[in-house]
Amino acid sequence: MRILLIEDDPGLGGAVRDQIAAEGHMPDLAPTLAYARDLLATMPYDLILLDLGLPDGRGIDFLRALRAKGSVTPVMILTAHDRITERIEGLNAGADDYMVKPFDLAELSARIAAVARRYAGNPNPLITLGALEIDLAAHAIHGPQGQIDLSQREWIIFEALLQRPGQIVSKSQIEDQIYAFDSEVESNTIEVYVSRLRKKLGKDVVQTLRGLGYRLGTP
Amino acid sequence: MKVLHSLRGQIAVGVSVMLVVLWLLAVLGSGFVIKDEIDESFDAALQETGERILPLAVVELIGSDDATGAKRILPIAQHDEKITYVIRDGQGQVLMYSHDADLRVFDTVKGQGFVTTADHRVFSRSAVSGQYTIQVAEPLTHRQTALRETVLAMLVPLGVLLPLTLFGVALWVSRALRPLAHLSVALRVKGADDLTPLKLPNLRSELVPIQHAANRLMARLSRTLEAERAFAANAAHELRTPIAATLAQTQRLVAESPQGPLRQRAVTVEAELKRLARLAEKLMQLARAEGGAMLGQGPADLVPILQMVLADFARSASGRIVADLPKVPVPSRLDPDAFAVLARNMIENALVHGTDRPVTVTLDAEGTFAVTNDCDTIPIEVLSTLTMRFERAGAQGSGSGLGLAIAAGIARGLGTDLVLRSPVAEGRGFAVALKLT
Repeated sequence: MRILLIEDDPGLGGAVRDQIAAEGHMPDLAPTLAYARDLLATMPYDLILLDLGLPDGRGIDFLRALRAKGSVTPVMILTAHDRITERIEGLNAGADDYMVKPFDLAELSARIAAVARRYAGNPNPLITLGALEIDLAAHAIHGPQGQIDLSQREWIIFEALLQRPGQIVSKSQIEDQIYAFDSEVESNTIEVYVSRLRKKLGKDVVQTLRGLGYRLGTP
Repeated sequence: MKVLHSLRGQIAVGVSVMLVVLWLLAVLGSGFVIKDEIDESFDAALQETGERILPLAVVELIGSDDATGAKRILPIAQHDEKITYVIRDGQGQVLMYSHDADLRVFDTVKGQGFVTTADHRVFSRSAVSGQYTIQVAEPLTHRQTALRETVLAMLVPLGVLLPLTLFGVALWVSRALRPLAHLSVALRVKGADDLTPLKLPNLRSELVPIQHAANRLMARLSRTLEAERAFAANAAHELRTPIAATLAQTQRLVAESPQGPLRQRAVTVEAELKRLARLAEKLMQLARAEGGAMLGQGPADLVPILQMVLADFARSASGRIVADLPKVPVPSRLDPDAFAVLARNMIENALVHGTDRPVTVTLDAEGTFAVTNDCDTIPIEVLSTLTMRFERAGAQGSGSGLGLAIAAGIARGLGTDLVLRSPVAEGRGFAVALKLT
């Protein structure tokens, strides 16, 4: 998933960004709301992690404005405000989850996965695809010959397709998932990773629709 | 005496006592005046009697040829003689006396005019160049009776008037002190956390400074409490971010370190940081709880707050909590955030100190909130110390030791009691309960 992390504390922001990246997602860290707005204007995100107290405004106002514009991007609030009334206010403003600092990074990862599954319409972290059993929470795949290991980028592409079963996912959408905002994108990278996925999971696991993109198949 | 503890009672009793004393002094003064007047009047009557009888007696004695001793004058009709008299000759021999006259009364009296003996007032007068002397005596009891009856007649109305006076004074004082009573009631009915200014119209001028002083005090207290609350909230907020950053960085360090002593050290740092975070959190909650001001802006439904708290525990203690919540709203004056802190601490306490058996969380429609866990019976002497800071019970005491102290602080702020009970049933268990409405 491509995740926008809006957090002004560099220590916490850096650690959360690294955790998200280690989980196989593509995080962009925005230390201000203004920077976050710029990123949102140029890039679609699957999830926003939002701090409430930011140097250039209140995160809750940013969230209300986002929902007022019709955005359905899931938002998880990460804040030092611990009052239950503040949590209710955050959820009422359109947040999907609310975590109070300090939090455990493992729990953050679990909640990110839960929010992602909820938005993909499948809250169950266990998916069966043909002969494959996929545990989204554990990033584990079991095939007829046992466990199948995927690299981080292979997993990101496979998860992007799993989250949109039956839908066409464009090449640029997948590129957005696997490249950080300021990274250089090489032209044939996606094809290379799709080829590797087919080798590991079965040639029919990803269907190519020329000129349109890719779609999840059944191995 | 209870009545003297009230201003109204003190004034009523004081005025009444003063009235009685003044009345008695007035009666005493009047008694002296009346006694003089009675003496003067009785003396005049005694003198008049003597001076009227003496000429008649002299005429009778001169015209009488009976020279055989003292002559007793018999009464025309039988009666008790109030005034007695004797007639003596120049040598003091008794020539004549009234029928009830006691000669011993007269024997000690010498000279002219009035003389008071031990029990009589005697008037003496001589005539015919001292050849005849009349002595008229009247018992003092006669005058004393007159004086006593007069004074008693003055005292009797006091006996009737005193209760009426007490009642009247009490009524008047009560009416006069009504504004003070209103002020007193207004102060008494204010809740422990109600620091809004008093607004009492038509207050007497003497009481206006009290109202102003009370309002100034409450405004100052309100500012102080608000500053304390703000400090606790800000301190909690400011502490959380650096702790969160340090913990997150340490967790990344653990994740990125190779297996070995360095990683083990990082794991130890992570555990200590989590402990520090928990302790800082609890201390901040305790500071807020003991700062009082647990009442919210208005009544708030506790059910959704408790549901939210239980949803948090569902992630970490799934299956261990059995909740029983009412289908109807449970409005309470308790601040929703304070209730969340209270519920969280009571449930955490039960999870940490209880066995692995389910923890029961109940909130009934009457507002009684209770958390029960399974454990060995807690001795009564230990039970009474559990709401003290840093007290832990049982061998599984791995908590902060502040949870029940925080809950007790919130209960105190609400003006209710945290009730601890052990055993709950079959010689086991521990329950914490309090009334929130």
